[in-house]
Amino acid sequence: MMDEQRVLKIIVAGEGGQGVQSIGELLAEAAFQAGKQALYIPNFGVEQRGGVSVAYVQIAEEAIGAPKFLYADLLAVLSKRAAERTKGYIKPGTIYLYEESALAAPVIDDQAVGIQGYETVAPEGFAKMVGAAAAPASSPPVDPSIRPVGIRAAQTAKAELTPRVFNIIVLGAITKLIKVLPPAGVKEAIAKKFGAKFRENPELEALNYQALAKGLTMIETEGQQ
Amino acid sequence: MTGNEVVAWAALVAGADFMYGYPITPQNEIMHYWARLAPHFGRGFLQTEDEMAAGFAMLGGALVGKKTFCATAGPGNILMQEPIAMAEMMRIPGVWVIQQRGGPSTATVIYSQQELRLTTAGGNGEGLRIVYSTAFHQELFEYTIKAFNRAWEYRFPTFVLGDGYQAKMREAVTLFRPEARGWTLTPAEPLVRRPGIPALDRDPVHLRNTFNIEEELYDRLMAQLAAYDRLTPEVVEWEVEVGPETEVLLVAHGIVARAAKQACAMLNRQGYKVGYFRPITVRPFPGAALREAVAANPNLRLLVVESAYGQLLALVKAELYGFTNAIDTLLKPGVGITAEEIMAAVTARTPKEVRPGG
Repeated sequence: MMDEQRVLKIIVAGEGGQGVQSIGELLAEAAFQAGKQALYIPNFGVEQRGGVSVAYVQIAEEAIGAPKFLYADLLAVLSKRAAERTKGYIKPGTIYLYEESALAAPVIDDQAVGIQGYETVAPEGFAKMVGAAAAPASSPPVDPSIRPVGIRAAQTAKAELTPRVFNIIVLGAITKLIKVLPPAGVKEAIAKKFGAKFRENPELEALNYQALAKGLTMIETEGQQ
Repeated sequence: MTGNEVVAWAALVAGADFMYGYPITPQNEIMHYWARLAPHFGRGFLQTEDEMAAGFAMLGGALVGKKTFCATAGPGNILMQEPIAMAEMMRIPGVWVIQQRGGPSTATVIYSQQELRLTTAGGNGEGLRIVYSTAFHQELFEYTIKAFNRAWEYRFPTFVLGDGYQAKMREAVTLFRPEARGWTLTPAEPLVRRPGIPALDRDPVHLRNTFNIEEELYDRLMAQLAAYDRLTPEVVEWEVEVGPETEVLLVAHGIVARAAKQACAMLNRQGYKVGYFRPITVRPFPGAALREAVAANPNLRLLVVESAYGQLLALVKAELYGFTNAIDTLLKPGVGITAEEIMAAVTARTPKEVRPGG
């Protein structure tokens, strides 16, 4: 899935507090531990909390160039606003991983040309469609050239584990989809990042690993389209 | 780790004694990490009432022989110019880490390359400074160490010019003790209150920033300019990839140079003949090296790329006075530039007949 630049480009976007930046950090850490080049940069504004949160991650075998990029190989969208904000990063072949409780499942029109779902603006300065008319998004982009993968991470976290591990389920799904990181390495990255919290609350450690496993298997069981 | 963490570790191993600072995004974590590290290593930190106070406090620390530094950005960089000008006049060493944010004024806390002019030429003087523009975390680490050495070696204000992206992004870096690599750390000595009786045991110390007559100032400045000219060949650093075949030379500094280098490699794989020039010291500017690169091919076109509206371009043009090579630009003030955008700029401007198979 890597392009001619031989760099895997991932964007994770959601609401502040959903754990988006942790996902970015854990992907970069797991890639680094796997002996790959990794670069992670959060978007950040003046707000302390709330708002759309976007994590940019690149994984490669060679040295990585610019920290941001125009198009994502995998775009993980965890909220409606985040979908609108990141639509400019979609290219043919993008894997569009989305949380189904935030976005309705898509209706694919095989006759369609281009992206059908979104007419709103991605506010990044380098996104193409700044100034375009805005319209609310209610489903993933309907584009035969992208691959939508819907998961029910929020429901699974709430019903089976704890809402706190929602992002780790998403991380598991991303890990499965990008195929370049060993799940054991991602688990190690989780252990490293949350080690202190796990010592305080050992139950949380088990929940996180279960969440990772759920995310990994979720793609096989319900995500393939 | 993040670039801000890298800088704090670099200052630690470079032998920094004291950081004076005032919070401003995106450099805050330099202060945070330093404030956490410092007590464990016998170093100090003081948050002052503003950036001017931080800058002048740094000079006081340097006068009594301490290695002092500060990190700031944007409006803080503006306020910092007054103490920096004093440091330039009195030849008091110091290290400033600038994590550029969007400007002018408060603008964004995120990123830009719009503080190039301010950092290289700020102050009411001749801008006698050493400014390293870094691109990778490894460079942030190594050039921060180097900045401490250069500052105390030459006694001109010395800068590490980073940006919000470098501050906040995470990538791999190898930290090391400079001594373990055979790097020598320049010692800091007190500039005032040295031992002995002035005029009897030693020359008196007379650090001035006030002059009574024009000629006094002129003599002083000409001596400083001569000292700066002498250090220039010892200090200038750059990166270049160019050959007689090169048709387009990308010129970029800092983190944009990463995108330029990436674009250069990809375009060359596609058959375009693209080179790359990156000043690492943006002051003094590696002008001779740039002229040599441009002279590789009389028909070579330049493409100057920066996240500012012509600040690097002005430096490049000044160095290329007399050259007739065309200069194209990709100027995006206050926003990041991707390799894809640079590639598009090159392919759009490259005439069809020289395109592969065209």
